[in-house]
Order: sequence, then C-alpha cells, then structure tokens
Amino acid sequence: MRKTPERVESLAAEYVLGSLKGKARSRFERWMMESGRVRQEVWYWEEKLGLLGNQVPEREPPESVWLAIQQRLWPQDDTRPAVQREAANRVWPVWSLFATAAALVLAVLLVQQPAPEPTLSGAVVQADVSDPLWLVSESSRDNRLRLRSVAATSAEAGKDYELWIVPDSGNPLSLGVIPVGDVYQVKLTDEARETLSQSRTLAISLEPRGGSPTGAPTGPILHVTKLYEL
Amino acid sequence: MINTEIEQAELMTLLLAVARSDRRAFERLYEKIAARMFGLCYKLAGQQELAEEALQDAFVQIWHHAGEYHSDRGTPLSWMLTIARYRTLDLMRARTVRRTAGDEHLEHVEDPRSGPLDHSLRRAGAEQLTGCLDELSDVQRDSILLSYYRGFTHDELAQALSSPIGTVKSWIRRGLMALKRCLER
Repeated sequence: MRKTPERVESLAAEYVLGSLKGKARSRFERWMMESGRVRQEVWYWEEKLGLLGNQVPEREPPESVWLAIQQRLWPQDDTRPAVQREAANRVWPVWSLFATAAALVLAVLLVQQPAPEPTLSGAVVQADVSDPLWLVSESSRDNRLRLRSVAATSAEAGKDYELWIVPDSGNPLSLGVIPVGDVYQVKLTDEARETLSQSRTLAISLEPRGGSPTGAPTGPILHVTKLYEL
Repeated sequence: MINTEIEQAELMTLLLAVARSDRRAFERLYEKIAARMFGLCYKLAGQQELAEEALQDAFVQIWHHAGEYHSDRGTPLSWMLTIARYRTLDLMRARTVRRTAGDEHLEHVEDPRSGPLDHSLRRAGAEQLTGCLDELSDVQRDSILLSYYRGFTHDELAQALSSPIGTVKSWIRRGLMALKRCLER
C-alpha cells in the first residue's frame, strides 16, 4: 500500500485513536519507522486527541503501584539490612494516616463537584440501509429528547410513525407521532425520563394517522433501539 | 488542575531531570501525574487490575524514554498520557478482557465539554478541540469519544451503536477528518 497523504492522514488518526488494529496497526507502525512525515502526523493527533485525556477525572492509584515501579526499576534496592527495612516499615502507619486524610479531603472536594448527568444517545437503524433512519439524543439539561430524521422515509399513506419508551416492565409510554425529514423534539416528564434512563429503550410503531387511538401501540413495531450513555 | 502553563513548565523540568536519571525527580513526577494518568487508564480499561499494570508499565517506560520527549509530541503531560493510553490499549488487546458490549456495561463517558473539569483553567487548545467536536454529527462524535475513552473496537462500536461495522468505520474516518479540517481553520 502506498503512503499517499490521504492514507497517512486518515491512518494516523485511527492509529492514535486506537481503532486501527491487528495487521493494519503493525503495518502502520512500520510506516512510522520509515517516515518522518508519518511520525509528524501521528504526533499531531497525539497532541490533539491527548487534550481529551486531560479531561478524565483523576483516580488515586494504590501505593502498591509505586512500590512495584521502584521494584522493577531498581530491584537491587531491597538489599538493605533487615533492621533498616523494619525501621522503614514502622514509618508506614503514619504515612498511611496522612494518605487517608488526604483521600478524605479529596473525597469531600469531589463530592462538592456537581456530578455531570449522563446523557443518552443512539441511532435507529435498519439492516439494509447504510445511514441511520433517525438519530436520537437526549439533553439532560432541559429534559428533552431529540430525534433527527436522517434516512427515514415517510410512512405509507394514512399512517404515522409513533415513538414509545419501552419500560423494563409495564406498558410503553407514548412520546407522540414523529415526522419524517425533520427534527422532532419532545419534552420528557419526570416519569418518562426516569423510565427511559432505566430501560434506555425506544420503539417506533406504525399507527393510523395521528397516532395510536388507544394509547398503546396498535400497529407493527418497526424498530426497537437501545440507547447508550455518553 | 495541572494543565496550566506553569504546571507544564514544571513537568518539563521534571522530565528533563528524569532523562538524566534523577530518581527524586521521577518520584515528584509520579506524585504529580499518577492520579491523572490512572484515571485515564481506569476509564479505558474499566477495571482496576489492568489499569494498575498499565500505570506501572507507563512509568517504567517514561523512566527509560524521558529523553525522547520533544515539543512536537505535544505538552509533556499529553505525551505521558499518550504512553499510558497506548499501554492500556495494548494490555486490553493482549488479554482480550473485553466488555461484552452489552449496553448495561457501558459506563458513562464524561462529555468533555461539561462536567467538573470544565472551568476557566482549561487550555485554549482543549477548547478549540471540543468546539470542533461540536461540529461533528452526533454519531461521529460518539464513535470517536467511545473509541478514545473506552478503547472500543469497530466491532464493539457497531454493537453499541446498533449499526453495521462499515457504517461505524466511516463515521470514525469522516469524523476524524472533519475534526482535523476544523482544527486547522
């Protein structure tokens, strides 16, 4: 495979993201060894995507990790006389007390931070259609569910699509009739939001024009889609 | 938050000292960034043991390769986080200790544009990046973030997003290229 600029650009991005795997990954690593231009492109992405890594919450590793690192790098260090080692061990409880205090402070600080609400997202797809029919996203801030129609085609004459939340148990909750070729937004009641956040499942059924007359799906269920948390 | 210019300069000084085999500097470096790095490893691996191993390996690598850092590779912090991230991904692949990709196993990926770390200390570069992420389509952005933060493979993404694998691949590819076009503007 030739190193065209387009390929280098696209493979470098996927390499850094981690989605390039197996043989393709090994082949690309060879390219990196061969070409400064390829390395530059990788560094570009390491720098840019690395910014995402700065955003992950911290997590205190156990003390054993640092001990293991030292053990691996300087194994000869542990040849101190036994007496000295014991003395060092006696200091430990004091240190761990400090560590606990520090952890408590950290915990308090963390608790005070407002926890970001998970938001739900997903796509309604059909096996033989390459684009999703609808894209679903939830905004936790104003309790809205947004459905963007992508490749969905209009329902047959005299029919409408109706959107439902499928609870873990019990009857589906209607979210109304969804138009095609447009963005549909619906405000979720607290109950609906709670149900959705538990089951994370939506369904679309085919109903008479204007929606189900009974409040429960009457037509065929065309799609069931599971949302995932972002 | 250790992402200010001053902190980066300090990390740079420590890294230089580590390159000269200064063990005290190495210890200081560990104290400064281990929690941040471990957060990333843990997020990616989704399990404590593997994350601990990756953190260990990353620091051993940093000790041996500190001299190879240069500014083309991003800030000292992002260079070190990249080492840890690759190591975590390697271990995940080697073990094939994988999530079953059932949705209930998906923890939530912090949206990098909000949450506790989203405050004024965030560097301009990060803002530029997240601003550009906003320009992507939802599925492009989600695929990229799930790959980055959770190490999802194409197969796993296809399952998580209930979409054919070819579609997922093109979301990622087009998403990354759109991101680059935006970052270069």
